Amino acid sequence: MSAKTEKGVNPEVKVIDTTRQAVPFDTANIPGPKMARAVMPAVSGKMLAKAKRPLLIVGSEISDPEVLARVVSLGKAGIQIASVGDSYAYLADKGLDAHYANMHALASYLCDPQWPGLDGKGGYDLVVFFGITYYYASQAISALKNFSHIKVISIDKYYHPNADMSFGNLKKDIFLPALDEVIAQLPKK
Amino acid sequence: MITKKGSFVIEGLENVQINIGKVGAGEEQIAEGPTPRPEIISLRSWDHRILDRYNAVYTPTGDTCDMCTYGKCDLTGNKEGACGIDLEGQSSREALTTTIQGAACHSAHGRHLLNYLIKKYGADFKIDVGPSNLQAPITETVMGITPKTIGDFIPVLDYVEEQLTQLMATTNTGQEGASRDFESKSLHAGMLDLLGMEVSDIIQISCLGFPKSDENAPVIEIGMGILDPKKPVVVCVGHNIAAPAYILDNMDANNLFDKIEIAGLCCTAHDMTRYKRTAKIVGPMTKELKYIRSGIPDVLVTDEQCVRADILKEAQKLHIPVIATSEKITYGLPDRSKDNVDDIIEDLVSGKQAGVLLLDFEKIGELVPKLAMKMGPIRKAKGYTALPTEEEMKKLVSKCTQCLQCTKDCPESLPISDAMVAATTGDLTKFEELHDKCIGCGRCDYSCPVKIPILNVIEKASQRVIWEEKGKIRIGRGQIGDPEIREEGRNLVLGTTPGVIAFVGCSNYPNGTKDVYDMVEEMIQRSYIIITSGCATMDIGMHKDKDGKTLYERYPGRFVKGNLLNTGSCVSNAHIAATTIKVASIFAGRKTKGNWEEIADYVMNRVGAVGLSWGAYSQKAFAIGTGCNRLGIPVVVGPHGTKYRRAYIGKPYKKETWNVLDGRDGSVVNVEPAPEHMMITAETKAEVLPLLAKLCFRPSDNSLGRAIKLTHYIELSEKYLKKMPDDWHIYVRNEADLPVAKKEQLMKLLEERGWKIDWEKKKIMEGPLRKVDVSFQPTNVPRLCKEVKK
Repeated sequence: MSAKTEKGVNPEVKVIDTTRQAVPFDTANIPGPKMARAVMPAVSGKMLAKAKRPLLIVGSEISDPEVLARVVSLGKAGIQIASVGDSYAYLADKGLDAHYANMHALASYLCDPQWPGLDGKGGYDLVVFFGITYYYASQAISALKNFSHIKVISIDKYYHPNADMSFGNLKKDIFLPALDEVIAQLPKK
Repeated sequence: MITKKGSFVIEGLENVQINIGKVGAGEEQIAEGPTPRPEIISLRSWDHRILDRYNAVYTPTGDTCDMCTYGKCDLTGNKEGACGIDLEGQSSREALTTTIQGAACHSAHGRHLLNYLIKKYGADFKIDVGPSNLQAPITETVMGITPKTIGDFIPVLDYVEEQLTQLMATTNTGQEGASRDFESKSLHAGMLDLLGMEVSDIIQISCLGFPKSDENAPVIEIGMGILDPKKPVVVCVGHNIAAPAYILDNMDANNLFDKIEIAGLCCTAHDMTRYKRTAKIVGPMTKELKYIRSGIPDVLVTDEQCVRADILKEAQKLHIPVIATSEKITYGLPDRSKDNVDDIIEDLVSGKQAGVLLLDFEKIGELVPKLAMKMGPIRKAKGYTALPTEEEMKKLVSKCTQCLQCTKDCPESLPISDAMVAATTGDLTKFEELHDKCIGCGRCDYSCPVKIPILNVIEKASQRVIWEEKGKIRIGRGQIGDPEIREEGRNLVLGTTPGVIAFVGCSNYPNGTKDVYDMVEEMIQRSYIIITSGCATMDIGMHKDKDGKTLYERYPGRFVKGNLLNTGSCVSNAHIAATTIKVASIFAGRKTKGNWEEIADYVMNRVGAVGLSWGAYSQKAFAIGTGCNRLGIPVVVGPHGTKYRRAYIGKPYKKETWNVLDGRDGSVVNVEPAPEHMMITAETKAEVLPLLAKLCFRPSDNSLGRAIKLTHYIELSEKYLKKMPDDWHIYVRNEADLPVAKKEQLMKLLEERGWKIDWEKKKIMEGPLRKVDVSFQPTNVPRLCKEVKK
């Protein structure tokens, strides 16, 4: 099954194509007629940069130092982080605006317009996921897809069909540069 | 009024028997509460109170509905389908269907056992589960009766079956449409599941000589490495003890235990050891395919539940005859129940038939040992196994192209290709690590484009660790006895025992079995009472400390803090839920009969019990969890639990949902979110441990109890998540609630949050949500308030 793709092309840099292999990472995880648009990292980065109140959600798969460094970069760029699973343990001493959250509860709260957010300053208009156990994240995103109006972008190394936009399934040599391209789109702090 | 059948003969008229359909029963059979035999909507208001606080949260696995010919309908974005149901409604309908499936499974198991045991022992056979007056707590609370004999359970299962039929009817297209009421029905089905399980286990404990609330039940061996493969090996798979009991009896009568190895896989194994201590346990359902493919079993006996659908096909490849003993799983096999045993054996040994359906227990008991004695030598001489030789394995691992398709199809996304690469250099350690994490489903075999039989390779490469797989577990003890409740109930309600944590359910773990062992060890060392059942019990027993001891050898099995209790098989889960009813009844004197709402209200507000089903996979596990939720017991499930598609999650920021009534005067009290959720998942071991501690908070905790619970919550969060919990202060009502060792430090943190502290008196002057009131009677049921009663 293929997904619609969109390529943002910058002729001055080597293009990291994140739209290939845009099929659910778990073979049978085919939710229905609406599946994520596979996008290039620049598109995800620009969406993130333009969002009024974005939230980055990361989980138990950020322990790899190279991945963790990218989470820290995103956090240093001023994006609030929801640390689900045990990921807070990796972020505790990094001086980020990071908050522990249970992924399942967070999905529920994000669907509730009355939720005051992790810091009491209100809800979010965009959530960005990566580094969470694949099937666990997929189910949480399913709740947001069907029961909220929040835009969901996956910048994980897996194609997440329930998101609005997602990378395809990536190997690490593409995944890390792709994250770098996302970070590059963000305003410098 | 509950009535009983009876018959009598008048002296002098011996030839005349007078039968009376129903005889009025004694006072003890009169319901004490308002809802004996609740119908679908009898407890709806209680359910809605639960759902108002713990909102149903849906995580659909699919966005379409194809239940009727209007469809497929696209419900994406909560659209309505052709029948008018939206995705929320459809998700709740799926949750109800799942719960009914689970409840039907346990209850049908109970029905089969009940019919069989009544036929064998008579309906008047007395129930006896150990030193308890409250022998059937769930039955009393739901049905409003006190059963005395196994025959008394006939109307109980009649009721369960009737209610399940009514519930199933509501899932048809054009029936219920509101998710809130689907959830109420789901909670009803969950309650029925608890009832069906209780019947199943009480009657088998009573009739079959299982341990009766025995805290000293013996510790026995478990594991893939415990059987002697040189002997004929019989392996029974499933959950129903009826057929294996006859095999064990026959072996006992013929002194065959030193000649034949007999063991079980999944919950049948638990009940075999409860029946005869000479039986052994191979392991949970995840070992089924692995053990069959090892070629060790010479005869496979299947009964019901958690039996792989491909057992016959797999066994046939290795010439292992399959004896199907339940009408629920017949595999298309010929029914040989009326045939001569020796004729059947001849057909199986010759290979004329790969297996038979045999529903006559006497014949099963006679046939299986005889068949094993014949098949054993033949099969061992041939050396049947599905595992490759070492040479074959080397060739197979070198075929791997690292396409990752196996990882994509693996439920645990295991890094199989990394292990393949390592194995090409002779390094098998990665495969050995995979062996524990692999749930033995075999999906990888189908996915491999170059046809590597991946599961067989994993198992071959892991032979060294497999032969060392020898653990120990304590045999299922059954119910918690009344004397234990009397001793411990007070500590639980006041919170000085920090909580009861039930480690239950299946083995679909996100990261192998060791996590479960680690979790139990962490919590038991913190003096929580740990109760186990089913496959989780087995996995806990597979790991050892540095002295080579399992947790069952290190910790006793009494219902007191810091103990580890194995209740038994899947249906023994009923006793875990029932323990909370016993606390309400024995410690607090609450009336049980027909009084579900009051008991559940008590449990939710006062008994710090929580269930963890870290590897839940089945509909049964979901039903058990949902039943516990209706009883006010929160349940946590591993990350795979999101695929159940529904959870019950509290919203601490919605203050109004945490109002309770004070039973003394009906006044409204805004309390801390305790328990915060009813059904929720967690991603990792490190996340779930502080969550379990938090879910043991109850509004009724006294200060000493709250301080103990808070200590564990904070310490576990600091240890595993490297942070103070964000919400720890919500659970502080006064300075006495603070952990003594950290009191001053925590008071400083509270001051930073804006709380007013009198440092001279070391007192909190302002800040808490509410004050501690030792006489506080928290309730969510208005009719239980004295003022309202007036």
